[in-house]
This record gives sequence, structure tokens and C-alpha cells, in this order.
Amino acid sequence: MSLSLPRENVPPRRRRGGESSGLVPYLYLLPFALLFFVFVVYPVGYGFYVSMHRWDLLAETRPFVGLEYYRNLFDFSTPQAQFFWNSMRNTAFFTIVSVPLLVATALGLALLLYRPIFGRAFFRAVFFLPGVLTVSVMGILWRWMFDNQIGLVNAVRTDIFHLQPLPFLSTEGLAWIPIIVGTLWWTIGFNMTLYLAALGNISQSLYEAAEIDGATAWPKFRFITWPLLGPVTLFVFVTTVLASFQLFGQTLVITAGGPNRTTQSAIQYITEEAFTNNQFSSASAMAFMFGLVMLIFTFLQFRIMARDAREGS
Amino acid sequence: MAAPARDLPAVTTTRESGPRRRGPRDIPRFLLLCLLAVIFLAPMYWMVATSLKAETDVIATPTQWVPLRPTLDNYREVFTSPDGNILRWMWNSFFVASVFTVLHVALCALTAYPLARMRFKGRDTIFWIILGSMMIPWVVSLIPTYLMMLKFNWINSFHSLIWPGLAGAFGVFLLRQFFMALPKELEEAARLDGANSLQVLWHVILPLSIPALVTLAVFAFMGSWNNFIWPTFVVTDIDKLTLPVGVNTFSQRYVTEYGKLMASTAIASVPVLIAYLLAQRYLISGLSTTGLKE
Repeated sequence: MSLSLPRENVPPRRRRGGESSGLVPYLYLLPFALLFFVFVVYPVGYGFYVSMHRWDLLAETRPFVGLEYYRNLFDFSTPQAQFFWNSMRNTAFFTIVSVPLLVATALGLALLLYRPIFGRAFFRAVFFLPGVLTVSVMGILWRWMFDNQIGLVNAVRTDIFHLQPLPFLSTEGLAWIPIIVGTLWWTIGFNMTLYLAALGNISQSLYEAAEIDGATAWPKFRFITWPLLGPVTLFVFVTTVLASFQLFGQTLVITAGGPNRTTQSAIQYITEEAFTNNQFSSASAMAFMFGLVMLIFTFLQFRIMARDAREGS
Repeated sequence: MAAPARDLPAVTTTRESGPRRRGPRDIPRFLLLCLLAVIFLAPMYWMVATSLKAETDVIATPTQWVPLRPTLDNYREVFTSPDGNILRWMWNSFFVASVFTVLHVALCALTAYPLARMRFKGRDTIFWIILGSMMIPWVVSLIPTYLMMLKFNWINSFHSLIWPGLAGAFGVFLLRQFFMALPKELEEAARLDGANSLQVLWHVILPLSIPALVTLAVFAFMGSWNNFIWPTFVVTDIDKLTLPVGVNTFSQRYVTEYGKLMASTAIASVPVLIAYLLAQRYLISGLSTTGLKE
């Protein structure tokens, strides 16, 4: 505090307020900088170091092996390569199927809700509510909903529609349904809220002008609402893709990655390799590979979507 | 942005321009919303209904849509379970999330302040480095951070749940944007009265930024409370578990006893549902204002 005292008596010739120089700003940044280096910057370098050595918690020595663990990921005679790319494929499948649903359904709900209607605050709360539950509660809940014998879904199938119960959780392919439906239920309110905010910002006069020209609901949506929602859609899309790629808790709790690893997500396999098999180096290499794929993906998305946004406007 | 979201509770989403009367045209829309609401609430209903059934009624055919012989036995057993104390886990979660939230908001405010309102060498570079860290997928630092926790002897300690996540770029970004929009006249007036920068932060900037601080606090608390992945690996001691992890250990133990499982998930849901109802206005408006204006 006293560091800045001499300056205080000088008439304010600073630009834009605040101290213009000296140590003060850096002192403010110091606590964050310390934590940032210890827990953000250093782990990345350390993780890379681990991935280049044969790391064994119990061993005395940790010999340097270079890129061996990365090479192993492309040697499909190893279970690591098979399971890792299998889990990456599962994650990609989940992302490709769930993202369009998550974006479109959120927009649909927002369109239903942005004009006043009786009970609107209630509906909004109902659609947002599941999102506050923790992933383990959500997962247990949906495992129960889709229980092979007596879950609510199968109860409805048998008791109301007189169909055979389906063993959703233990059938390859079908096991994705509880995961995707559960995720939809869990996260839709978040995206819906973003869309509601954006819809509220569209000037009503645009619609009035269009109505004078005789536009009906569809053209109004197609030529006013949709283009003006472009930036939000970009944001929602990118964040949803990134979140979907980090799939972990839902598959862990609902199916435990089964049956036969068909719903095992990439992060789930990486953590299995690290914490169950104690293969920290191999898991670190996978984490970097996963991170690299995500970075490339993010970069491409921003490029494509930014171009679309430019052309659209 | 002159009056930056002073009216936060009024939520941007409620801004209706143009009088639109409710008419018969709205009836199909209303019915559709009701149907969707029923579908959305069904899992919650099924959770509560199952939790009130005896185990024989849970598996009974035909299905009991409504518990015919409601009982609180499942709740009693969950609360007194020898496999873990759910109230203890709730307290752990609350303690960790509270400490984390206070430290995180304070740290982000201290960091955002010079980045928003002072001029110094390297300011923009520092800001971009912090922001750039958001590009690093957290899974990359999962394993090295775990190994660090081993080295620090922080496994099964709340330290490992609090410290690693504190330096979050999002909070700094949010507060910086908010601080930058505050009028500089107030700050200059305080300066002329002889206030130093810390006094300006405490008496001028922070009081004006309560909506942003509350938004960040709600996000931080929810994020910490709901965190599942990280505590799964660094906490194994049954008494140190947080609620999400603890409930999941129940789920591995009571694989087929859905009555007890649903009682435990219902108990775990109560605090977040109450918190949601209390923080609803901030939560939704905070979401709507995070960088999405314009």
C-alpha cells in the first residue's frame, strides 16, 4: 500500500486512472501468478515429461523412453491402442449424435418459451432444473429409468404398450440411448437459457416490419430470427461440442462403459489406464493425444463457423 | 453498458417489447409445454416414488405408479448406513465449495483489477496468457496434478479439492470485463481524496460489482459442489468423500436396491434444488450476460 504513497500527492496526470507504473499491478497479480504456474503451466510440462519416461510409482528409476508411448498408440497389436481409439470413436459418436439434438432442442424450447405464456417462469425452471443435479445423481437416476427389467421406460413399454421390455443397459448400441437421453435432459436448460437471452435481444420492430410485408411465421424465423441467432448458435455449438467431448460421468455411472467397452469414453479409458492399471506414462501420452485432437477440432470449428458467420451477414 | 447490469434480477430474457396478447392461438403451445414439463419431471417423480417404496414394491409387477404402501425406511437406512454418512459428505461438499468460492472470487477480483484498470508493461500479454489457458483441456493436467498431489501428500485432503482449481481464467475474464465497464469518474474522485489503489478496489470497484461477484460465486460454488471426476481420484477415505462421489459409492454398493439408491439421490438433490430456487435469478441472468451481449 505504502508503495504508491509518494505518487498520491501528485496531480492526476495519469491516463485512464490507476497507477500508471511501478510494482503495484504486479503485486496484485502475484497470488494468481503463483497458483497459475504451479497448477496450470507446470502440470502441462510435467505431464509431457511423464509421458516421455517409463513412470512407475514404486520403481526407483524412471528411464527416458522418448515417444515410445505415443508410438504405441498407433501400434494396433497393443490393447492400449485398440482400447484408446475405440474410446475415441465412442466419444466422437456421442458428440456427433448428441450435439445436433442438444442445439436444436434447446432452440425449440426457447422458441416455445420466449413469448409470454401462462406459467412461463415455471416451465423455464422445470427445463433448467435437471442441470443443477450432480452427474452421479443424474446418472443413477437414468440408469434406474432404463433398468432392464423394472425401469420406468420398460414399465411403460410393458404395462401400457404391451411390448417386451428391452435390456437397454446391456445391449450394444441400445446402451447409448439412456446416456444420450439423460444428457439431453440434464443439459438442455443451459443452452435454452442462452437462446432465450439472445431471442430477448432481437428487436421486435423487425418482426413488425416483416408483418407489414405479410410475412408468416416461417419466413420470419428463416430471415430474421435464425440469422440474428448466428453468434449464439456458434457459441452454443462450440461449447456443446467441447463439453460432449469430455464425456465421462454419464457413461461411468449409467453403463460403466459397457457392454464390452462400447460406451467407454476417452477420458474414462485414460483414467482407467492411469488409476486402475497404474500406467501413468501411457495414460499421459493418451491425454496429450486427446488434447491435441480437441485443439485441432476447436480450431477447425472456429475457422469454419467464423467463415459461415461472415458469409451469413 | 453504461449501467452494467444493475438490473440483473430483471433478466435480459424477460425483456418483451411490443404488446402481445395471450390468445387462443397460445393454447396448443401451452399444451405442448405441459407435455414437455411432464416428461422433464418424470425422472424426478420416479426417483421420489421409488424412494418411498419397500424393496418388494419396487420390483412388483404390475408396476406401482404410485407407492401404495409408502414408507420412509429407505431414508432411515441411508442416513444410518454403515457404508458412509451422507450428512458428513454433504458437509464436506459444503465446506470445500464454500472455501473454494471465497478464495476463488477474491483471487479473481485481485487479478482482474489491475488488468482492467491499470496501465503497466505486459498487461495485455498477461491477460492473453490467462485467457489462452482455457484452451488447455483439463484432462492434460489430470495425471500430472494427481502425481503432484501424491508428492504433496494431499491425497485424502481437502487441499487437493481446493487449490488446483483456484486460478481459473473464466473468473478473471468475467470480472475484468465488468470492471472495465465501470465509470472512471468515481475512481478519479476517490483518488483525489487520497485513496490508494487497494482502497479504490475495496470502496469503489467491489461495491459496484456485486452482481458480477455474485454470479461468479454461484458458478464457483456450483462447480465445486458438483465436481465429480477429480474428487473421485484424490479422495478415497470414506469420511472425506464429497457428496457426488459418496452417492456414487452407494450406487456401486446397492446395485439392485433401487429404493435405497433413490433415497440417497433424493437427499443429495435437496441442497442443490434449494440453492437453485434461491439463486435462480442470478444463475439464469448470469448465464445470459456472460459475453453474449451484442
